[in-house]
Amino acid sequence: MVLEATMICIDNSEWMRNGDYAPSRFQAQADAVNLICGAKTQSNPENTVGVLTMAGKGVRVLVTPTSDLGKILACMHGLEIGGEMNLAAGIQVAQLALKHRQNKKQQQRIIVFAGSPVTHEKKALEMIGKKLKKNSVALDIVNFGDDDEGKTEKLEALLAAVNNNDTSHIVHVPAGPNALSDVLISTPIFTGDGEGGSGFAASAATAAAGGVSGFEFGVDPNLDPELALALRVSMEEERARQEAAAKKAAEEASKQEKSAEEQDATMTERGNEGASEADNKKNEISDDDDTSLQQALAMSMDEPASSQDLQDIEMSDAAAEDPELALALQLSVQDSTKDSSSQADMNKLLADQSFVSSILASLPGVDPNDPSVKEVLASMQNQSESQQKPDEDKVPKKEEEK
Amino acid sequence: MACTHDHSCEDHDCSSNWSLYKHIDLSKVTALNEANPGSVKSVFKAWEERLNSSGEHLESNEGDPELLVYIPFTSDVKIKSISVVGGADGTSPSKLRVFINRDGIDFSDAQSMQPVQEWDLVENLQGVLEYQTRYSKFQSVANITLHFPESFGGDTTQIHYIGFKGEATQLKRDVVATIVYEITPNPSDHKTRAETGGLSHVE
Repeated sequence: MVLEATMICIDNSEWMRNGDYAPSRFQAQADAVNLICGAKTQSNPENTVGVLTMAGKGVRVLVTPTSDLGKILACMHGLEIGGEMNLAAGIQVAQLALKHRQNKKQQQRIIVFAGSPVTHEKKALEMIGKKLKKNSVALDIVNFGDDDEGKTEKLEALLAAVNNNDTSHIVHVPAGPNALSDVLISTPIFTGDGEGGSGFAASAATAAAGGVSGFEFGVDPNLDPELALALRVSMEEERARQEAAAKKAAEEASKQEKSAEEQDATMTERGNEGASEADNKKNEISDDDDTSLQQALAMSMDEPASSQDLQDIEMSDAAAEDPELALALQLSVQDSTKDSSSQADMNKLLADQSFVSSILASLPGVDPNDPSVKEVLASMQNQSESQQKPDEDKVPKKEEEK
Repeated sequence: MACTHDHSCEDHDCSSNWSLYKHIDLSKVTALNEANPGSVKSVFKAWEERLNSSGEHLESNEGDPELLVYIPFTSDVKIKSISVVGGADGTSPSKLRVFINRDGIDFSDAQSMQPVQEWDLVENLQGVLEYQTRYSKFQSVANITLHFPESFGGDTTQIHYIGFKGEATQLKRDVVATIVYEITPNPSDHKTRAETGGLSHVE
């Protein structure tokens, strides 16, 4: 939940009339902008977002950074399309607008939508990138539309010049059936480097996948934002605590392995522990994606059980299409009514690799063949092996009762 | 250990003079144009450690020797002098300009604003030089911004140690953040004791 001030640079040039992104490039862009504003303000209530247009008569700031979502949505109405996009001027004006933000503690970020050709030289863009990096401004680029005159190359060069420790990102969105906003949801632009915003992304992803109510924790953030925020903060603290506990357990395991060595070898012991700690930390950074993936899976399977009253109709519709899903839903619904551990059954379901990979395939932005995803599946299967024997007694009984 | 005053250091502990680093709010220290984010925190240490360059140091980005360091203190301090240890081979900073009690200065502000004081630095690899301040201007410093515009010809600027000599007061400079000014007075906001009841007296 980084405290951030964001300026969004919109492309409203003639190229945006094109219909290759349904319904038109401009509409797709507007939807994406609305989603991003929502995500930013939800992830931290003190975040501010501003909007400017890059084409038309010249660069024009529509809204200076504000946390009032209504103002931002209102200014997106009645925008005219025309002219050519001036990327360099747009970024520089955005930087100036951020410089005069009211809360100097906010991190500065610019999000650029580049849907038309870039006429500037690569050198000029690199200079702009360096200046942004020097003033510690992060830059996210959404590259859509046609790739002519080396546009992709120029934007990649710009990103390389700005990027400081992976705070800046670029996303290439090809034309196709997927809406621009859907593609963006799974990117780091939305998820905000994998922390607070991932809650928003995970709930949006499960809503897209299972047709279930997309509210995290079953609390509507619009009705009770403070409660939703408090719940999310406590979940993140819990996650951090669990990661620290896992790291300690791994350290202790490596310590026990080496406790048999002699006194002379204590120096090498310490060296090795330091190396294994570093390895753990490296794994953790890549595991952050996995843990959030696990959380998303857990939530998508828990929610049908917890909010069954509302979801009965939707569940039967979804169940009719997918018999595996029907089995899973029935098992999980029965679990919530009895005292037996739904956890054990869920683990068994998770252990069923084909089921999990079919669920994963339906989630946007997840590739089941990704090695890190396969690692997670393998580790989950190892976890549930120990629980499988008592479960096998319980599950056949339940199937008889149905 | 070398000192700038002409007596031996066995009489008193030099490091106690340079103890203002204890009053720096390290979590809020930031730097612009640093190559490794967060490395700026490593330059604030005890006087004895100032030559200890085994840990991290502050380095600017490749090809750009400009650096801007923002240092907030936990309470108001009076700064008597500043010491800077740079890097070898021309990577020491050659100039220093400071700004007091200003938030959110960036490079364009720093280059255009008049600093409270500026110094021409020399290469000070042993950490024996200190630069005195105009003490009257540095009486209640809540935060200080150091701007190093250039180096001695090196591609980058390296800083291994920044020290402050002075005293800390226990006061905290409080910035009034939100004030609502009245354009026209509203009588209901100004009930006197006579109107609300109770003994009234002539003032």
